[in-house]
Amino acid sequence: MSRPVDPITLGVIWGALQSIAVEIGTAVHKTAYSEQAREGQDFSVAVFDREGRMVAQGPYSPGHMGAMSFAVRHALAAHPVDTLRPGDGILLNDPLLGSGHLPDFFITQPVFHDGALIGFVVNIVHHTDVGGQRPGSQGVEGIFDYFQEGLRIPPTKVWHEYRTDDGVIGIIAANTRTPEKVLGDLRAQRSALRVGELRLQELVARYGRETVFAATDEILARTEASVRAAIREIPDGVYPFEDVLDDWGPGTDPLRVAVTVTVAGDTVTVDYDGSSPQTPSGLNSYINYTRSYSYAAVKCLTDPSGPMNEGALRPVEVKAPEGSFLNPRPPAGGGPRAVICYRVFEAVVGALAPALPDRVSAAASHMANPTFGGWDRQNRRRFVAYELVLSGTGARATKDGCEAMAWAFNAANIPVEAQESRHPLVIERFELIRDSGGAGTFRGGCGVRRDMRFLADDGMLTNLSDRQRVAPWGLFGGQPGRRGCTVIDPGPGAVRGRTGEEVVHSKASRSFAYGDVISFQQAGAGGYGDPLARDPGLVLEDVLDDYVSVRAARDQYGVVIAGKGFDLRVDARATERLRARLDAARVSTASAPAGVRPRSTRARAAPTLGTRSQRVASQARPPAKRRRS
Amino acid sequence: MAYRLGFDVGGTFTDFVLRSPAGELLTGKRLTTYPDPSEACLAGLDELVARAGVSLADVAQAVHGTTLGSNVVIERKARGVGLITTRGFRDVLVIGREKRYQVYDLQIEKPRPLIRRRFVAEVTERILADGSVRTPLDEADARRAVRALAARGVDTVAICLLHAYVNPAHERRLAELVTEEAPHVAVTVSHEVSPTFREYERTSTTVVNAYVMTAVREYLRALQSELGRRGYRGRLFVMQSSGGIATADAMERYPVRMIESGPAAGALMAALYGELTGHRDLIAFDMGGTTAKLALIEDGRPSTTTSFELHRVNNAPGSGLPMNIQAIDLVEIGAGGGSIATAKLGVIAVGPESASSMPGPVCYGRGGTEPTVTDANLVLGYLNPEYFAGGSMRLQPGAAARAIEEKLARPLGLSLEAAAWGIHQIVTTNMELATRVVSIERGRDPRDLTLVAFGGSGPVHGCRLAQALDVPRVILPAAAGVTAAIGLLAAEVRFDVARTFVRRIDALDPAHVTSMYEEMAAQALDVVTRAGSPSDTAGGVRLVRSLDARYVGQGYELTVPVPSGALDAVSLARVRAAFDDIYAARYGYSSPGEPVEAVTWKLSAIASTPGVALSKAPPSAAGEPLKGGRKAYFPEARGYIDCPVYDRYALSAGLTLTGPAIVEERESTTVVPPGITATVDEYGNLIARLGT
Repeated sequence: MSRPVDPITLGVIWGALQSIAVEIGTAVHKTAYSEQAREGQDFSVAVFDREGRMVAQGPYSPGHMGAMSFAVRHALAAHPVDTLRPGDGILLNDPLLGSGHLPDFFITQPVFHDGALIGFVVNIVHHTDVGGQRPGSQGVEGIFDYFQEGLRIPPTKVWHEYRTDDGVIGIIAANTRTPEKVLGDLRAQRSALRVGELRLQELVARYGRETVFAATDEILARTEASVRAAIREIPDGVYPFEDVLDDWGPGTDPLRVAVTVTVAGDTVTVDYDGSSPQTPSGLNSYINYTRSYSYAAVKCLTDPSGPMNEGALRPVEVKAPEGSFLNPRPPAGGGPRAVICYRVFEAVVGALAPALPDRVSAAASHMANPTFGGWDRQNRRRFVAYELVLSGTGARATKDGCEAMAWAFNAANIPVEAQESRHPLVIERFELIRDSGGAGTFRGGCGVRRDMRFLADDGMLTNLSDRQRVAPWGLFGGQPGRRGCTVIDPGPGAVRGRTGEEVVHSKASRSFAYGDVISFQQAGAGGYGDPLARDPGLVLEDVLDDYVSVRAARDQYGVVIAGKGFDLRVDARATERLRARLDAARVSTASAPAGVRPRSTRARAAPTLGTRSQRVASQARPPAKRRRS
Repeated sequence: MAYRLGFDVGGTFTDFVLRSPAGELLTGKRLTTYPDPSEACLAGLDELVARAGVSLADVAQAVHGTTLGSNVVIERKARGVGLITTRGFRDVLVIGREKRYQVYDLQIEKPRPLIRRRFVAEVTERILADGSVRTPLDEADARRAVRALAARGVDTVAICLLHAYVNPAHERRLAELVTEEAPHVAVTVSHEVSPTFREYERTSTTVVNAYVMTAVREYLRALQSELGRRGYRGRLFVMQSSGGIATADAMERYPVRMIESGPAAGALMAALYGELTGHRDLIAFDMGGTTAKLALIEDGRPSTTTSFELHRVNNAPGSGLPMNIQAIDLVEIGAGGGSIATAKLGVIAVGPESASSMPGPVCYGRGGTEPTVTDANLVLGYLNPEYFAGGSMRLQPGAAARAIEEKLARPLGLSLEAAAWGIHQIVTTNMELATRVVSIERGRDPRDLTLVAFGGSGPVHGCRLAQALDVPRVILPAAAGVTAAIGLLAAEVRFDVARTFVRRIDALDPAHVTSMYEEMAAQALDVVTRAGSPSDTAGGVRLVRSLDARYVGQGYELTVPVPSGALDAVSLARVRAAFDDIYAARYGYSSPGEPVEAVTWKLSAIASTPGVALSKAPPSAAGEPLKGGRKAYFPEARGYIDCPVYDRYALSAGLTLTGPAIVEERESTTVVPPGITATVDEYGNLIARLGT
């Protein structure tokens, strides 16, 4: 290592690298063509040093970011540094080498200054469609390998010395249902990397190569030290947890996510031994994707406000048995793997709940990430659309969960006005679902409902959601959230059973007709702590704002609301009596899960789930921690 | 010959400046009054004109800056504000855009929506993206919704319907129905406030407009009538976030445009001082009683933005309320003279809570009990207890010392001076981090920039802030304590109009665009000319036209200038070519083969004002510059040392002071730490140079 960098210069270079990452991201965001990139921000960006170490990343999707280090390594293995020229761009989307599914296009561009390599700028965008069986390339059903999911690109130069390779672009254009969006987004990737390249060159021109390199070493070392220090604060121990995905398509069994998190000194090992085997469907999470969300969870619980770079990853090891659905062997399908990330992330959070009760959160709702295809008769063209319905997050030790907030998969929603201006559809509702948030001393966020009416022929829906059979768990006596569902032609309320409505499986692929409304109704998030200990005043506010009904206030929180219309109040004496009665009734039917208990020791998961679900939900409760020494 | 008057209300102080026809500036400062800030305004104006020996009847133009709107939002204190949305979309504010502004923080919270769900009503209607009506407005349903809101005490309504930026018919009709059903209810409609697509961002902007409307209207009307009673015959002007001024009555409909009023004026003035002293790349550092504001000025112009977020958390993108309006780009943090210091977890923490002006710092003797930055600066000997705000307030050093001793020094086991210095240092560090956001994080090295330190507390901390960031030069403007008020007089009269009309440029009818621009020009000119021009205005009104455009398929636009006059195919082709050029400059490549679509057409009517030409200081100022000395604390000297104190008004051009030195003026105090020299320039500004 070269001579130390003075603190001011180090600070400037660190900030500059971070701001280069932000600038690359802003350029993708502002120049992209597809809804998921320009509105949903389903992309990521980073700056790497000349040795291929990630130095700074933008505030986007963790799923890409954890995978990026590995993707860059694979790109450089195929195209060694001495074969690279300024203005080259290496594209790859291979699931094993990248982030686990074909729509994610990673591009790595080397940056030179005065003829010497000074680093890499990298971005990755989730493209709308890369061909394959289903529009949107994210089918679960009927997939048994990735050859059915679309075009697979090994590390390939997509531009040479700033000139686009028309042959490669032509092959891509010929293998997507949406060439305008895919080529437009590729242009956005190219512009953004050019912006990043120029900024990195300016930085080196100003401070000199040696200083920037020395600063990079220092940045990674300091980040690593900070994460290690934070890990040391967690009691050493072996922390197991188990959760499930509902299933991997209609008529299939739940998929088990078993994790053991081992904290030893300043290292964390996350091991998914015991998880279900890989599936003959699209639903598999390649190891880079599993790693990404495991890193993200550890980061959240240790050093949430610290920088994220290669140094932050070093103290964390992630393992999953080869052949499991969290580390499948190629050519396993992986298109719809986004739906798995919440579960991987929450398994780590749930495992560490007994050790870090103040830092964790109950399970979040689940997103829906459906894709659609069909014929737009008005504009006489085919279309492919992507949706992202994000919902509430789990309650925390001192506060309610957030309403409508991205969770592990960090993205934004697509504005109604943006979605409708490009596709033959009308969004009829976008709202929270009353009484869906898990009750607790602190309430889980509500599920979100988005109803979309398609004015399209030959409609094809590839549904993608979860938490429709097994509800998101609560913590420490908090109740699970209400399960979600997908329904065609629903009634206005949340009650099922309207004539003509049709429930669609969370991972089904099916057709729909012109004028059909498809309603994506997400689960509510889990509560935290005993609902009977919730401040009745907060329950009243929730009733006044229609998050909680008068009936649920009584049944779930033991709070009796009196009055009519807008003039409501808590009947304090009736509430006290009701809470005493509900509490007494519980004592006789439940016992405390050992080691997990702020406030009420008598709470347990809601008894309203089906038999199988009940077993799983109780498994999903954080078990007692087993201290290793 | 006419006088011009600027007055700027901050969280703690209200600043005043009166410019005589000959260009002399007379300044003043007094504590902001609560709950009615116009009390201090009027008292200060009376005092200032009396001091000048004139009356308000001699004043041709009064320009006002206020943080009123921003305060109403941050404190969530408006009542009776409702929202009407398209049926099915009542949660538009609660849902927002949903992205996590801190990726890894599980404890984050979303900004609390300004309007609770119970005050949101839905109406049956639907317009599609192409402007066609899918479901006509159900008027009976709409009337019911309005009556229900009114019955709940709603007296201001924001209306934001889907796709109203393309077809405003339903919003217009609904506004009429509100007036019919509930004539007392004020209405604001999204297609007028923020005619751009993306429903959350448009609703957020419209709701803020509604949210501050009552408070702003009542305040400005009362102020205007009080000014009239005192003989002022002109119109009251207000600073907008964009850096332009407009009449108070024009702002009644669009109060959201003045949401960042005060800070904009400060940034403008900093740019002017930079110009004057030959430095065009600057950081404007405005530290008042409640907050510090930082803005980057590049090549002599404050950076501006067409969208920003109000009240971000730790300045993280996505954590604030989106505002789609033109504004000067700045960062504001809770660090001011009134910021309260506490002992938390064994260390000193400062702010963001402020003692503001009531009760104010302990040393004001107005009931404050929590030690503040000003109390620390007094204990350190930087402030003169007999000459605060020009001697209009007497400070109490004993009370300040007792509070610091009791609340900080004793609990933390520190000496009094160590605790006071700790407060000074921590608040400086907080501002250092904010300065990094506007410089380093935007790729600017502070070592290439000049700091302009102003506001009542800015010159006390400016040199220390510069030291922390290795900024080589600090400009301490003459009248540093009232710089924002002077900035009000430097601003131009401006009114912006925008329309969304989405078409491929190659498919546009130039005659249609020309006539649309004519309508917009008429609308903007009407506002600006109704504003009248002060008698000594130089020049007429100029119209600046621009277009936000993008490649077909993209979601965000770049702004391209549009030439004046009638448009034809040739001029539109030039606009398109200019778009490619601007795009390439920004994003490295352009796509001349891809179609470009026009989205938002914009026009600003701008009328110049006389501005402020700063007068040069007389070559030899009257009186003795060295007015005395006192003990002041400097860590370099390991304690209190005798420090010379200078009279700012007696400093003549060319004089060089060597730190440690203190320079006193009516509205502020400059601290020059040991090792730093400061020279007086020909305008009376102090230019401090750091290091060698």
